Amino acid sequence: MAEKPRESQAPRSRSTPGAVPFTGPSRDWDWHDIEARKEGEGRAGTEKVGRVRRAARAFLGGALLGMGLKSRSVGGMAMAFAGGRLIVRGTRGHSLAAGLPGLRKRALTGRGAREEGVVTGGTVMERSITIQKPGHELYREWRVAENLSRVMGHFADVTRTGPDVLHWKVQGPFGRTFEWDSHVVEEQPGEFLRWESLKGAQVPNSGWVRFRPAPGDWGTVVTLRLFFSPPGGTAADAAMKLFGEVPTALAARALRRFKSLVETGEIPTTNPNPAARDGGQSSS
Amino acid sequence: MRALCWNGVNDLRVETVADPAIVNPRDVILKVTMSTTCGSDLHFIDGYIPTMREGDVIGHEFMGEVVDVGRDVKKVKKGDRVVVPSFICCGSCWYCQHDLYSLCDNTNPKAELQEPVFGYPTAGIYGYTHAFGGYAGAHAQYVRVPHADTDCFLVPEGLKDEQVLFLSDAAPTGYMGADFCNIHPGDTVAVWGCGGVGLMAMKSAFLLGASRVIGIDRFPERLELARTRVGAETLNYAEVESVLDLLKELTGGRGPDACIDAVGMEAHGTGVEYAYDRTKQALHLHSDRGEALRQAILACRKGGTLSILGVYGVMDKFPIGAIMNKGLTVRTAQQHGQKYLPRLLEHVKKGELDPSFLATHRFNLEGAPLGYEMFKKKKDGCVRAVFLPN
Repeated sequence: MAEKPRESQAPRSRSTPGAVPFTGPSRDWDWHDIEARKEGEGRAGTEKVGRVRRAARAFLGGALLGMGLKSRSVGGMAMAFAGGRLIVRGTRGHSLAAGLPGLRKRALTGRGAREEGVVTGGTVMERSITIQKPGHELYREWRVAENLSRVMGHFADVTRTGPDVLHWKVQGPFGRTFEWDSHVVEEQPGEFLRWESLKGAQVPNSGWVRFRPAPGDWGTVVTLRLFFSPPGGTAADAAMKLFGEVPTALAARALRRFKSLVETGEIPTTNPNPAARDGGQSSS
Repeated sequence: MRALCWNGVNDLRVETVADPAIVNPRDVILKVTMSTTCGSDLHFIDGYIPTMREGDVIGHEFMGEVVDVGRDVKKVKKGDRVVVPSFICCGSCWYCQHDLYSLCDNTNPKAELQEPVFGYPTAGIYGYTHAFGGYAGAHAQYVRVPHADTDCFLVPEGLKDEQVLFLSDAAPTGYMGADFCNIHPGDTVAVWGCGGVGLMAMKSAFLLGASRVIGIDRFPERLELARTRVGAETLNYAEVESVLDLLKELTGGRGPDACIDAVGMEAHGTGVEYAYDRTKQALHLHSDRGEALRQAILACRKGGTLSILGVYGVMDKFPIGAIMNKGLTVRTAQQHGQKYLPRLLEHVKKGELDPSFLATHRFNLEGAPLGYEMFKKKKDGCVRAVFLPN
């Protein structure tokens, strides 16, 4: 019989000195972040701590699931799902942060930030998706401003304002609007595209998208990296405040929307949707 | 239009909501001619599946007439009479192209709600929680059907509504469950649950060549349907001391070659484990009662196949040791209806399959809450309540 696998004790690349832990509203990866940080700090007694944490997680999960189911609201359903997730993770007993493929998060305070050519203190998130189309076709579709506008529609209005220059307009929470122009800074047709916001942008940001062949008949692996470096506070926290979403969720959702658009010609939506609320028609 | 809406745990009401409209270019709008209850609806009506919202239109098993067509729809036309599988599928992604339709990558607009629980999001369903997309359901006068060319199946002339309605979900789910069993001549297939899906799984097992089919339930009228309409042998678990012993004896001590679970997360049982499950579920310490599934695992012969059709969320006390040591093959999925619809329509046309006997009770839409009540409590021998919204 195989021994129960232990949590990895390998040093994590994220433990950059001076990195600030994220303290905003929790999303999936935030839990990993906090847990992984704590587990990495004290080696002695880590297993015991892990066991206690797992039990607590399962217990908390049960409570959240119960409360969420009782409350019957959107918040409730989120709570119930978070609860279900904690039960799953509490009983499974290892941190996803240890080896989640395709998900890499680094707090950039040093070299990485200088590489990007933007101010320090930002957060980088990468997400990948596999799409049933050849890379050169996907690259072409990505370069169509109207497509990008639809793909980023959950987050920004994107319009073309010049050759290789896009204008981004983001509606943040509390009626605040953020705008900037981005320009392409690196281009390998069919494979790679990198862009940066122009100097003086309110929210300095950059990103790249990469297209690589997937194994077998899976098509192409598309990786999207978004980097935001908003002024003030830790980057992820501030980005969250600015856009109402953390960069990883933005990236993941943009990729899913891009995949649906290029594979099927449309992006799935339930807006509008008949329902006995909001005057008979729900927008979500 | 009028529609049956979920307003909270055990609170269904018929309400006036906006008519659906074409939203995406591959959508059609159906005027619903007939829809039906499904046992899996009971899980969120009873509050065991989260992510419902007050006012959601429910219902995912239906048929109707096409009344409006999006600009990129190529095959489906206004006036077509169609039956629609309950999973919304794009037809273009890797999963759809490999006949794994319920795993479609492109039809769940709220994937982020489901991904944390299942790891990867599945396809969307009509009227079945926001984790499955939050699409308005079909217990309504009209329903929007995305990706119509992939998801609408033309009903051949001469067939009555009741004969094809259940090809939306119960029949393809049951057929898929039997297809999973890799049936050879001489095989015995045992099916837990004699509701719509279980009865269709039994019938399908015969269509696929099983020699014997044994149906397990506790409701005499459902067991009778299994005997008279399907030709199965039956076993009332509430009346026997040990289902496992009896199944063993019925199969020469070997056990059934394949076991199909058509019950799901709210299973009823008689033993200590049932009491344990029930208590934990009541305390919200876990979400599933798995009595039927555990029994199916233990009953299955060595090297046999376990086919799971019942809907589950999360469950503990799962006897994986029995599966592992007996070398069982586990097959399971939500229905890949688009794969099975053409051959099921052929079976119905040839008279080899007629699921209309499942429609034991009929209501207009205003009577739908009563219909669900009768269906849930199995009153008056109700197997499936059928609604006529127009």
